[in-house]
Amino acid sequence: MSRRLLVAAVLTLVAVTTGWLVAVFAQSGEYKIGVLEPLTGPLAGEGKRHLEGFEIVRDLINERGGVMGKKLSFVVADVPDPTAAASEANRVITRENVKIVTGTFSSRLCGAASEAAARHNVIYWETSCVDPRFNKRGLKNVYRTEIDATGFGWYNIDFIVKHLAPRFNLQPSQLKIAFISEDSSYGQGVTESAVARAKEVGLQVVGGVEYYNFQTINDMTPIIVKLKQLNPDVVHHIAYTNDAPLFWRQAREQNFLFKALVHAGATGYGSSDFGKAVGNDGNGVFALLEPGPGFKVESLKPDGQKIEKDFRDAVQKRTGSYPLGSHQLAGGGLWLLKLVLDKSQSDDPDKFRAAVMSLDLPVGTMINGWGVKFNETGQNSNERVQHYMLQWQNGQLVSVWPEEFTTNRAKWIPLGAWDARK
Amino acid sequence: MGGIYALIAVGLTLIFGIMRVVNFAHGEFLMLGMYLAFWAFTLLSLDPWFVLFVSIPLFFGIGLVTYALVMKGVILASHNVQIFTTVGLSTALQNLALVLWSGDFHTVRPWHALTPVRLAGTAFNLSQVVAFVIAVTLTILLFLFMRRTHTGRVMRATAQDRDAAILMGIDTDRVYRLTFALGIAAVGAAGVLVSPLYAVYPTAGLQFVLLSYVVVVLGGLGDMVGALIGSLIVAAVEVAGSYFFGTAWKEIFYFLLFIGVLVFRPAGLFGQRGAETLGM
Repeated sequence: MSRRLLVAAVLTLVAVTTGWLVAVFAQSGEYKIGVLEPLTGPLAGEGKRHLEGFEIVRDLINERGGVMGKKLSFVVADVPDPTAAASEANRVITRENVKIVTGTFSSRLCGAASEAAARHNVIYWETSCVDPRFNKRGLKNVYRTEIDATGFGWYNIDFIVKHLAPRFNLQPSQLKIAFISEDSSYGQGVTESAVARAKEVGLQVVGGVEYYNFQTINDMTPIIVKLKQLNPDVVHHIAYTNDAPLFWRQAREQNFLFKALVHAGATGYGSSDFGKAVGNDGNGVFALLEPGPGFKVESLKPDGQKIEKDFRDAVQKRTGSYPLGSHQLAGGGLWLLKLVLDKSQSDDPDKFRAAVMSLDLPVGTMINGWGVKFNETGQNSNERVQHYMLQWQNGQLVSVWPEEFTTNRAKWIPLGAWDARK
Repeated sequence: MGGIYALIAVGLTLIFGIMRVVNFAHGEFLMLGMYLAFWAFTLLSLDPWFVLFVSIPLFFGIGLVTYALVMKGVILASHNVQIFTTVGLSTALQNLALVLWSGDFHTVRPWHALTPVRLAGTAFNLSQVVAFVIAVTLTILLFLFMRRTHTGRVMRATAQDRDAAILMGIDTDRVYRLTFALGIAAVGAAGVLVSPLYAVYPTAGLQFVLLSYVVVVLGGLGDMVGALIGSLIVAAVEVAGSYFFGTAWKEIFYFLLFIGVLVFRPAGLFGQRGAETLGM
């Protein structure tokens, strides 16, 4: 062996050994998980709030002893698009050696990130995306804590039939509903399930679903002109970002009058950005979300009350506001991961899965009032992931339904003239 | 919408038509104009219509600086180098905005943003109507500048044949510098004017920039009036496509139109034949 080759071999050995020792030393006191978030690009606003929710609950967990006896820490990666989601998932798994990956806020990202994690046989723990295909791909180590899109559609139609129709003095069969939606798997998933449910319960679905690309839409007027001709009582609009304030502003310009607008999710009308964009002009819009101001914490089980209060206080302390949708989705999901790891005491995929499947907590025991019961596909049961209808009232999203869980009541039913919603 | 597209496309057609540079950072200068209007409105309560007068000299200066620091070095390079450079500039500006002002959506809400103007059963937004009027005015002024002034003639001569222009004693570097600065001033003004209509965020320019290229190609490279008419055609195709076939179809229609123009009339609907290779 030449001398040069010998030196190269020794240097390689030293480098590998040093890297291994550093990795072992760094892990001895803390447990790292990969966190993938859209921190740049069109979803950056919600991505940052989502990460903030993770960080707040990570601190709550560490105050209570961490996970598996170690301090929980994050390896954070920016994933503005599906390509980045896949490559960053690969990177945190292969370079940072994490055994659990979580994220990603968006249905645009969760599919690619979870596929990449599954290829490495690493646990993927999604806390927010609602793409209905997510848990139907036969990926054994992929889990979702949040409701799926079919649940969103079901809740929204339930609200329209049980709460809005009587307030309009209409039978469900007399109520006309129109659907518009952004065209990602999130919008399509929620809208398709809502359309199917609306037909089941006998609502009059007017027109076809108007889909559009939320990144390129800059004029909603053609949609609004068509909707005016259809004259719906309720507009079911799944919006992502800028499309919600754009629709609302142009509907006002065109004096398009309808009785209610219903949305689902922490994006679009469910995002604080909508309130900032339209102010009190947004009065009356409904968005299905986690609980908001007015929610009765005492309606939860004792365990749920304790952690919900601690979570709200921690968010208030850090942000100065009530938890927003993205905080709640991330926070609820991470707390549930802690419960699983407390039980499994291991990130071995089989032991972890056994712990996930054994959890059976009723509604009201978790952050956001959620319960826990995963099915074989890794999806937390839609019935256990209790959701609430919130309404924009004077610049704030407040809980209004189901009424037994809140002190607030829905207003502007039906929505009157645009200038009369004060 | 035609007026807004025209406002954005006028600056682009200048740069594209005279310098022959495909400026992929055009949308980001639009975004910077929107942020200028947002901060002026939020911090100083200044109406975007007032900020417009400040934005034109400010963005003219930004154009001069950008030309000196970035564009001058690649003006004679291949199209590939120019594309990579402007895509890099675009990404850098987007991320600079993200670092400085976060990814949150901001809104500018002056009184005219919520004032509908009703005409013959149709409603327009007052901000939009004013943007359209300014677009037409700006186009006419630039058209007259290019046709009637010595500098305009020099710019057109440079666009037609750079080497001949140099032989005639024209300082082409000065022409390119002026062209780029004028183009950036126009798109900065467009950003200020559209700020009451759309949310302000780091990638706000993306939704307009591709469409502006369609407008510029349709109208003919470097043709101001062509850009204005091209904008109206694209907006009409978009609205009609959305209304009759659904919003998901609108991009298909105007990109089919784009391809059709490139194949059958590469100089654009209103550009003179050969302009796509020679200049204006």
